[in-house]
Amino acid sequence: MSGKMTYTAAFEELQQIVNEIETGEISVDLLSEKVKRAAYLIKLCKEKLTTTEADVTQILKELDSERD
Amino acid sequence: MPEKFENKTVFTLLEITQRIHHALAEHFPSVYWVKAEMNKLNHYIHSGHCYPELVEKREGKVVAQIRSNLWKDDYTRINARFLKVLKEPLKDGINILFCAKIAYDPVYGLSLRMVDIDPTYSLGELEREKQESIEKIQQEGLFNRNKSLKLPMLPQRIAVISVETSKGYADFVKVIQDNPWGYRFFIMLFPSLLQGEKVGEAIALQLDRIERVKHHFDMVAIIRGGGGDVGLSGYNHLAFARKVALFPLPVITGIGHATNETVVEMVAFKHCITPTDVADFLIQQFHNFSAPLLDNSRILIELAYRILAFEKRNQLEISLQLDKSTRELQVVARNSLNAQARNMKGYTGFFIRNHRDHLQVKSGQVSKAVMIFFHAFRLKLEQMRKNGSLIIQSTLKKSWIDIESLKRNISLMDPINVLARGYSVTRLNGKIIRSHTYVNPGDSIETITFDGTIKSTVTTHYSEPGT
Repeated sequence: MSGKMTYTAAFEELQQIVNEIETGEISVDLLSEKVKRAAYLIKLCKEKLTTTEADVTQILKELDSERD
Repeated sequence: MPEKFENKTVFTLLEITQRIHHALAEHFPSVYWVKAEMNKLNHYIHSGHCYPELVEKREGKVVAQIRSNLWKDDYTRINARFLKVLKEPLKDGINILFCAKIAYDPVYGLSLRMVDIDPTYSLGELEREKQESIEKIQQEGLFNRNKSLKLPMLPQRIAVISVETSKGYADFVKVIQDNPWGYRFFIMLFPSLLQGEKVGEAIALQLDRIERVKHHFDMVAIIRGGGGDVGLSGYNHLAFARKVALFPLPVITGIGHATNETVVEMVAFKHCITPTDVADFLIQQFHNFSAPLLDNSRILIELAYRILAFEKRNQLEISLQLDKSTRELQVVARNSLNAQARNMKGYTGFFIRNHRDHLQVKSGQVSKAVMIFFHAFRLKLEQMRKNGSLIIQSTLKKSWIDIESLKRNISLMDPINVLARGYSVTRLNGKIIRSHTYVNPGDSIETITFDGTIKSTVTTHYSEPGT
């Protein structure tokens, strides 16, 4: 996960961008940049819905190592 | 009958046990309702009989204890009523109100022979225990502890406590993994008993294991299904409820029963009726995350279009405004120019008039001066003409003499005069013949002399000039 933003952060940032645009706080100059960013965040969040990074082997290893 | 032995009345073992038997039968002729804790049921599956161990405790110490019998037929009947009323079988560690005869057997000794057990008494006892658990949990401030944890927006990694072969687990996994939206979950099973007397300890053991690797999970699901409503009183036990309340991950239960909520369910993060409900709840969390994404994409596109359209209109307005302003400015500028032109014309007229007047004055002066000059010049010319005509007359006279001489010379050159001196001119068809090659024998030629013309025909010609 290093260097990668969490989906919660992505979700919140996305919400904020949409709010900013909705309330008209964004100039046309910034608009294209913000829309691009929002599209990236949406992609990131959508990816999270359909993937997991859990590792059974690692979990089993940790369970074993702390036994006894 | 007793024998005598050295003045002593001696009984056989059978005789004395028979006396005890008679005495007891005489003093305890009927049946008695007794309340006690059934420490152990001691059900022998092979024979079907039970030998319950009954105790009474005061401040944790056993103050009374007795063995009892519950014969197969009584057990079957009573157990069925327990299952119906309590949703629990007869089991170890419950408080019971039972009807019994005091029984004495010379071989097996004193015991209570149970003929009936009142399930409603035990139900009340279970309910009382449950209420005690709830009160205790509340006193300890743990009732809402697990509920106050934060479930991640996407509860994706789930530690499941269940039985691998159970229907509930299969239902749960099917709904979660086969969801048509492609949501991905990670499920890991931590197998455990899910009902019965030992359920609390068994699940607590798995909770301990999960806690060791809790950073790999978002939540715990306790899944049970298809087991009916029996054997769930363990979920009211204080230790188990406390364990769930204090667990560092949200615990969601789906233990599939229709009876009253158990204490574990009450203190859990969320309590669903069935395993499928748990799965649906989790998928709903994903929907709750996914829907705003779709909404936001739509809103973004809409807003971006709207802002661009607005800006376009703005720019159009500005350009129209600019156009209008330019026109107005042009009008102003033109008017100003016209005014300046008019002024300029006025000034110029004035300037010109002014200078013309000045010039007129000057020109008057000049013409006067010129007239004076011309007058003088004319006088001078008059004088020159008088002198000049004398010179011209003498010059003309001299020229006339020269011309007369020239005229004489020129008349000497006249062809008539030349012809008169004996020369003639010969022509062929009107053209003067300068060479003998101009003619061919037979040509008719004419020769002009001073006083007439001779026609002749060429017989021959050759080059010998002058002959």
